[in-house]
Amino acid sequence: MAATAAQLTRRTAISALAAAGAGFIVFGPRGREHVPTGRLVLDYWEKWTQHEGRAMQAVVDEFNASQSRLFVRYLVTGTIHQKALIAIAGGNPPDIIGMYNYNVPAYADAAAVLPLGDLAPRHGLRLDHYAPGVRQVMQHRGRWWATVNTAGTLALYYNKRLFSEAGLNPEQPPRTIQELDAAHAALTRVTAGEVQRAGFLHMEPGWWSWIWGYHFGDTLYDEATDRSLAANPTNIRAYDWMQSYPRHLGVDAVERFRSGLGPYGQANWGFLTGELAMVVQGPWMASQVNQFAPDLDYGVAPFPVDESIYEGAAPPPTALIDTDVLMIPRGAKNPEASMEFIAYTQQPRIAERLATAHCKGSPMLDVSESFLAAHPNRGVRLHTELFSSPRAFICPPTGAWPELKDIFDTAMSDLWKLREPAAQRLAAVQSASQAVLDRAARTRQLRGESTGLNRT
Amino acid sequence: MTSPTRPSLRTRLRRSPEAAGLLWVAPWLIGGAVFMFLPMLLSLWYSLTDYPLLKPPAYVGLANYRELGSDDRFWLVVRNTAAYAAVSIPLMTLLSLVLAAMLTPRMQRSAPGFWRTDRPERLALVAVFIPTLVPMVAAAMLWMWLFNARSGLINTALSWVGLRGPSWLEEPGWALPALVITGLWGIGQGVVIYVAALREVPTQLYEAAEIDGMGPVRRWAFVTLPMISPVILFNVITLTIGAVQVFAMPYILFRNERGQKAAGDFYNLYLYDAAFVYQRMGYASAMAWIQLLVVLGLTGLMLWMSRRLVHYRVG
Repeated sequence: MAATAAQLTRRTAISALAAAGAGFIVFGPRGREHVPTGRLVLDYWEKWTQHEGRAMQAVVDEFNASQSRLFVRYLVTGTIHQKALIAIAGGNPPDIIGMYNYNVPAYADAAAVLPLGDLAPRHGLRLDHYAPGVRQVMQHRGRWWATVNTAGTLALYYNKRLFSEAGLNPEQPPRTIQELDAAHAALTRVTAGEVQRAGFLHMEPGWWSWIWGYHFGDTLYDEATDRSLAANPTNIRAYDWMQSYPRHLGVDAVERFRSGLGPYGQANWGFLTGELAMVVQGPWMASQVNQFAPDLDYGVAPFPVDESIYEGAAPPPTALIDTDVLMIPRGAKNPEASMEFIAYTQQPRIAERLATAHCKGSPMLDVSESFLAAHPNRGVRLHTELFSSPRAFICPPTGAWPELKDIFDTAMSDLWKLREPAAQRLAAVQSASQAVLDRAARTRQLRGESTGLNRT
Repeated sequence: MTSPTRPSLRTRLRRSPEAAGLLWVAPWLIGGAVFMFLPMLLSLWYSLTDYPLLKPPAYVGLANYRELGSDDRFWLVVRNTAAYAAVSIPLMTLLSLVLAAMLTPRMQRSAPGFWRTDRPERLALVAVFIPTLVPMVAAAMLWMWLFNARSGLINTALSWVGLRGPSWLEEPGWALPALVITGLWGIGQGVVIYVAALREVPTQLYEAAEIDGMGPVRRWAFVTLPMISPVILFNVITLTIGAVQVFAMPYILFRNERGQKAAGDFYNLYLYDAAFVYQRMGYASAMAWIQLLVVLGLTGLMLWMSRRLVHYRVG
């Protein structure tokens, strides 16, 4: 044993380690992607994985094959809005970033991305190529910051079979909040205090807990004055309405019922199993149905609005616009080249192909009949029309929105559990939100930046 | 006359063990200085600034610290984190000690070899330790299933004895108990350390105590506990640091569409949000420094109190 130990000298051990390291460098793993020589490489960070990622990779491959100067590398990046921020701050950003529309104001306010007002038109893009509602998410404080590659609008999805079983007309979905209440009552099943099936639950899946006031004709934020409007009387009425559902069914019963529902994205999610009869969702919903419950007979309709919005005839539909955006980070090595790739993705045929693969809508103003006819979502025509509705809205266009949304989501969680009356809690939300907005304004002032606002 | 030749580096290092020692630890010293102490100093400076990451820091004095004083969410996460620490640390310590005490006696008496008599205890120790090797995210996903109010194993088991289990992750009052229970999943490390400490207690002390007429309870109180008190102190300090920094488990359990928002909010979650979601690096740095000072204060307090309570063997 001693002889063996004596043979292994320090020099031998270090040499062995060095040889192993050299071997790893020479023969070790390599990136799979072959980059052709002589091309400018553009790194494109995107959040999409699985079928969405594969569809975007196909677009990237097609672009790379279509010319010989640029080569785009598609890199899937989780929590991209944080990683991109750190990369930009560190001075080593990617060349193109794919994010959500609610990231645009924060990135624009922080000067983390380049304005496209001059850059995009040089590559043949114009704002009026896009549907009117979509243009809202591309701009912030009057400047153009992002392009949109896939887009969605929220609508009411309902189970036609359950409508028929409950004696409701499956071809006449609810148009008003009052009709929605009636449908919910008819569809809900409670046995021995346990909810077996719910007509509609505002918090399933709960991603957009802040939108209900808009369906009563209100808004949460006044961009012109930078004021939170959470406690407006109409908003309070909307959240009183939301609280009426758990109040009627019982908070414990509702929460036990919700706890048993699988999460969105899995086969046991309530709408797919028939435990939820109606949900608010975007066009991507159809990919879940097609994958997990292909026999589910669903209908799509504009999400109902309060009767008070009706002015004689049916008003234009109200819907949130939710999109994916492409932006060029500050510090990108060749913005013209980045824009060239983005412009390639914005061609109607590419946008429609990507939207079909993602089961979303095309953001363009002109949409081909073949796209609408072949789309996997039977409600795609409605979703497309909603992009142009005068009542289509986007999330409050302020860089402070992530913080405001957290304040709102925490309040909604408590309101849903009836821990406070809506009026009291929304007053607190408005006060806390305004404090965040005022602090952001003070920070801009501290730095001598223009607010771009007309504060009164 | 020949000029004296300068000794080689190896020779000089052999003559000066201090220099050799410093050379060997140099990578850690340099790494620690560049990647830990320098960032810490920078964060102290950032805590006095408004720093949205993409713009240069702007000096604001103590404004961040003043704002923390009137920030409702800050006090909420302080309360939640303190409550979690106050419940989980004694519970984890007590349970680890009880388990270790149950496992140690036969392990101590067993003769080595294949036919040793303490095999069940050793298997139990492995079973208790294995959960600490499971990645936190996987463990959290598992707990989400266990806590499912309708079909989770915990509520199903409760229903067998006629109890209706709560909505663990959805009801505000049950968020803390749920998190504490998940924390108990990771007591294996403490149990292993306590078992090792208990096996080191000299048997002569127990024999002497027995001759003096001490029963098992008094032997535990007056022999075992004092002898393993340094290990208890070490474990309590590390548990305190861990509890104050709790992050991954509540992030996964409560940051989803159905999870608790307020009751499931903890200090490091808010710190993370402030830094990377709200882009308020200065504010997050102020929070980090307060956290560091609190941890240092608690550690100092425990060390000061340990002067009377902890027994160190000499020699």
